[in-house]
Amino acid sequence: MFAEGPANTVNYMIAGYTVFFTVMILYLTSLLVRYRNLKQDLDVLQEVEQRDEQ
Amino acid sequence: MRERSQASKLSFFSSLRAFFSAVGAVVWKDLSAELRSRELISAMLVFALLVILIFNFALELDAKTRGTVTAGVLWVTFAFAGTLGLNRSMAMEKDRGCLDGLLLTPVDRSAIYFGKAIGNLFFMLLVEAVVLPVYSVLYSTNLFKPGLLIVVLLGSIGYVAVGTLLSAMAVQTRTRDILLPILLFPLVVPVLIAAVKGSSAFLEGSAMADIWPWLNLLIVYDVIFTAVAYMVFDYVVEE
Amino acid sequence: MEAKSRYLKILDAVTMVLFLISLWMVFFYAPLEKVMGAVQRVFYYHVGTAWVGMLGFAVAMIAGVAYLRTGSRKWDIVGLAAVEISLVFFLIAIIMGSIWARPIWNAWWTWDPRLTTATIVELVYAAYLLLRQGIEDPDRRARFGAVYAILGFVSVPLTFLSIRIFRTIHPVVIGNSDPTATGSFDMSSAMLQTFLFGLFTFSLIFVDLLWHRIRMGKLADKVELLRLKALE
Repeated sequence: MFAEGPANTVNYMIAGYTVFFTVMILYLTSLLVRYRNLKQDLDVLQEVEQRDEQ
Repeated sequence: MRERSQASKLSFFSSLRAFFSAVGAVVWKDLSAELRSRELISAMLVFALLVILIFNFALELDAKTRGTVTAGVLWVTFAFAGTLGLNRSMAMEKDRGCLDGLLLTPVDRSAIYFGKAIGNLFFMLLVEAVVLPVYSVLYSTNLFKPGLLIVVLLGSIGYVAVGTLLSAMAVQTRTRDILLPILLFPLVVPVLIAAVKGSSAFLEGSAMADIWPWLNLLIVYDVIFTAVAYMVFDYVVEE
Repeated sequence: MEAKSRYLKILDAVTMVLFLISLWMVFFYAPLEKVMGAVQRVFYYHVGTAWVGMLGFAVAMIAGVAYLRTGSRKWDIVGLAAVEISLVFFLIAIIMGSIWARPIWNAWWTWDPRLTTATIVELVYAAYLLLRQGIEDPDRRARFGAVYAILGFVSVPLTFLSIRIFRTIHPVVIGNSDPTATGSFDMSSAMLQTFLFGLFTFSLIFVDLLWHRIRMGKLADKVELLRLKALE
């Protein structure tokens, strides 16, 4: 009686973890980009505010 | 001591009476306005009948498949016609400024919610009361089993309980009409599943043991969401 | 803008270390499952990300209640942050679940109650974001968001239940799959450890990301305030 052994599903495992890392990296990148944009906006707006007060 | 408790008992009952009369006033306002113009009912009715017609061509409603598909067709029709009614009912409120007028009265805000919800339920039941016989005649299916009617009632209550609250929110946004179905359908999935399966079961004459889970689900949903909507409505209409 | 708190920096480092350890456990410490093979390893992060999704959903509801009771802006920021993170993580969980299902049931989608409910939750989030987008006034936006988050949270157990009853009465087996395959497996102790450690790690990942996203939300609030002032 042959022992069948586990199925070869390595490709699916790789696919699964690729999805995990891709989406995570995309999300973290988006957080970073949005944060930087907001910082820039803040600097600009603070300058404008200062100029208005003068 | 006794006078104080008597006085507070009196004020409790009088505020309860004020509450019910406010609810009644809102319902009466909607019903009598609709009686005069009939624009809401006619729109919902025509729309529902058109949907039934489209289903006739979109699906193979021959005698065999009809049995399995009737409940689904009916509930899709009710869901879409219901959305129409919910939208129009709130929009009329807002556009005519009735909402602001109602908010000025010194009554618990939830009276407005219950009033609108009961009115919406009435309109939805009216439409269903027409669609059911029409469908029965068009497809020679007897839909007048008492179990089915109970499912229709319970399902409509749940649908309207959530729909009235959400329409009060949607009407205050830029995207209005489009937004209500988007907000409503994900929340109302349990109602649709239970209503379709329950209706189907009654039509096929299944054993009550199989049907009870669906009825229980509908009842639980109705109770929970009516309670939550009551608690939360104030925050939706405050200025 | 406030500098990154020292505690946040520590949390970042700790989370990263735990994440790396967890990865090692998933790929090297946990044994190979004897029937499904390698794809079973997907399970650890599939549940981990779903766990983050659920945490986010709960936090969004709590933040909603808190906002309605206090009217304090910070709860709105927390709620939006929680929804966004939960949306991303449920998405990962759903896709990983689908990939795991494929070799086992021979179908990309199985209408399994948990996956289906997770998808409906994603639709609730989409509706939440669209609702917020259609409102200009920040207070009303926060209030309506809070209400919808609460309603969504309350509806989901009922949704899950209804799909589950639906499925037990009508088991749906799509595709030419082996009807005896159940996708369940016995967990050895190493697997259990990997699984639990994964849950712990993901809990920290949730807190870490939430903190960062809240920081960003506060900044966004500041910017919006200044922008409105500048337009006057």
